[in-house]
Amino acid sequence: MPRPPSPSIPEKEFVYGALKQSLRLDGRSMLEMRTPALSFGPELGWVECSLGKTRVLAQIDAKMVKPPPERPLEGIITIHSELSSMASNEYELGRPSDQEVTITRMLDKVLRRSDAVDKESLCVLAGQRVWHIRLTIHVLSDSGNMLDCACLAGIVALKHFRRPEVEVVGDEITIHHPSERAPMPLSMHHTPYCFTFAFFPDPATPPLLDPSHLEETLSAGLLSVALNAQRELCVVQKAGGVPLSPEDVLRIIDVAVQKAKELDKIVEHALQEDWAGRNVEVR
Amino acid sequence: MRDLSVVYEGLDRVDGSARFGFGSTKSLCSVSGPIEVRPTLENPSQATLDVQIRPLAAIAGTDSKALATTLKSVFTSSLFLSHHPRTLVQIVGQALCGTESGSGLGSAGRGWNASLTASLVNASTAAFLSAGSVPMKGVVCAVAVGRLQPDPSSSATLIMDPEEAELPRLDGSGCFAFTFSAVLPASPLSCHDVPPCALTWTNYTTAGPFDIQEVKRATEFAKKGAQEVWLKLKESVRWLEKSAASPLPSKADVKKDDEETMGEMEVDDEKVEI
Repeated sequence: MPRPPSPSIPEKEFVYGALKQSLRLDGRSMLEMRTPALSFGPELGWVECSLGKTRVLAQIDAKMVKPPPERPLEGIITIHSELSSMASNEYELGRPSDQEVTITRMLDKVLRRSDAVDKESLCVLAGQRVWHIRLTIHVLSDSGNMLDCACLAGIVALKHFRRPEVEVVGDEITIHHPSERAPMPLSMHHTPYCFTFAFFPDPATPPLLDPSHLEETLSAGLLSVALNAQRELCVVQKAGGVPLSPEDVLRIIDVAVQKAKELDKIVEHALQEDWAGRNVEVR
Repeated sequence: MRDLSVVYEGLDRVDGSARFGFGSTKSLCSVSGPIEVRPTLENPSQATLDVQIRPLAAIAGTDSKALATTLKSVFTSSLFLSHHPRTLVQIVGQALCGTESGSGLGSAGRGWNASLTASLVNASTAAFLSAGSVPMKGVVCAVAVGRLQPDPSSSATLIMDPEEAELPRLDGSGCFAFTFSAVLPASPLSCHDVPPCALTWTNYTTAGPFDIQEVKRATEFAKKGAQEVWLKLKESVRWLEKSAASPLPSKADVKKDDEETMGEMEVDDEKVEI
């Protein structure tokens, strides 16, 4: 579909006026995130994450390949995140919009380049066989802040996935089917979470966390911060938009640190609940 | 046949969406239309149909695009596209499962097997029903049939809705899509609560040769399965309004919602009677 119509003038003025008084249209406070809901599928590494009406599906696949000669001791992680027209009518297959490019780059930075997964543990036989982990992100619905939802779905899928147990004797590799030996989780260094803040043209309007679709369209700039619950920054992305002073940025990072701790608890709780409900080990 | 499941997703940015599953073989489909179309794709006499199919793992490859082209012809014949010229009807189908071997046992057996294709067609039909904006000639229901022939001398047995685990043992399978419409001529043997149907599309392929008698037998066999799918879709339309809208409800919430809405519905009935 060609470019979608921009919001009407009454809508714009109402939203700006309300945000100046720190009132959001859906009743949240300025720094409140929509509660993430995580639902796990029948296979391990299949997770559906929703932030309000924004829904993202993440799935992990693993297979053994020969590593490239320049990195013989590390596994390979690839991320596929093409937006389809299911996310919204404005996205077309084969024509990456600006948003899609931003999401692909951020996902790459947050999940791959931040070393969330220990790649050396994915090596089975040096120079011969390593694990190739393939993460596929499908955005089912875009109601604002697809990026945070996709990062959350991706990291939870990585934590949820279990790869089959492998035995190496000399040069022989035996892969055990999950029904013979319990599969093993991926070894992760840390768990990064992404938070997006939106800024508006009027400098008196405070920044808000987790913009909805309308707020994202009307915003004058977005700042995305990815960090983990141990107060370590992974990625800070601000691509254009309203200029910010350093104090503003530091304040935002403080807020993000708080949210990361809360989100970590929610994710751990959801993973434990799901794990208790599955019987992976056969005795 | 495995348990059928229909869930009307209520995705926010599209007109209709639904998830259909044969047991654990599920797919999700979203439908948008009639919407604005690019001038290059515009057709002055009918709506343009755009079908996109995506597998669960990795990006759409050749087999997904081939399936999309085939399904385009199936749906072109089952929709009244001439009612909305110069518009676009967009269908996006997403597979929600690959095979059982999602645990790193390689890519053997992945792709579009007959059951997954059938669940995709049914999900698109359910999405059209939930959107309600594109006029349909009939309800398209599909079911997969597999063939088992242990040795060439014995006759082939037909299996309804083969599971992924049974696929390696089959020596033929195919997806049969039927259009159910009240205007079709009824056969004397059809049951009374299901409208008559006609075969719209099939991709029945076998390893060995087969004759036209076998195709007829397979069609009759699949017809019964398609009738069950139709009945399930009809029953599910009752839950169309109470779709699984966001956030993903927990099981406790869903039970409470059911009880509350049952109570409300009873009250409404009384008011109506008065």
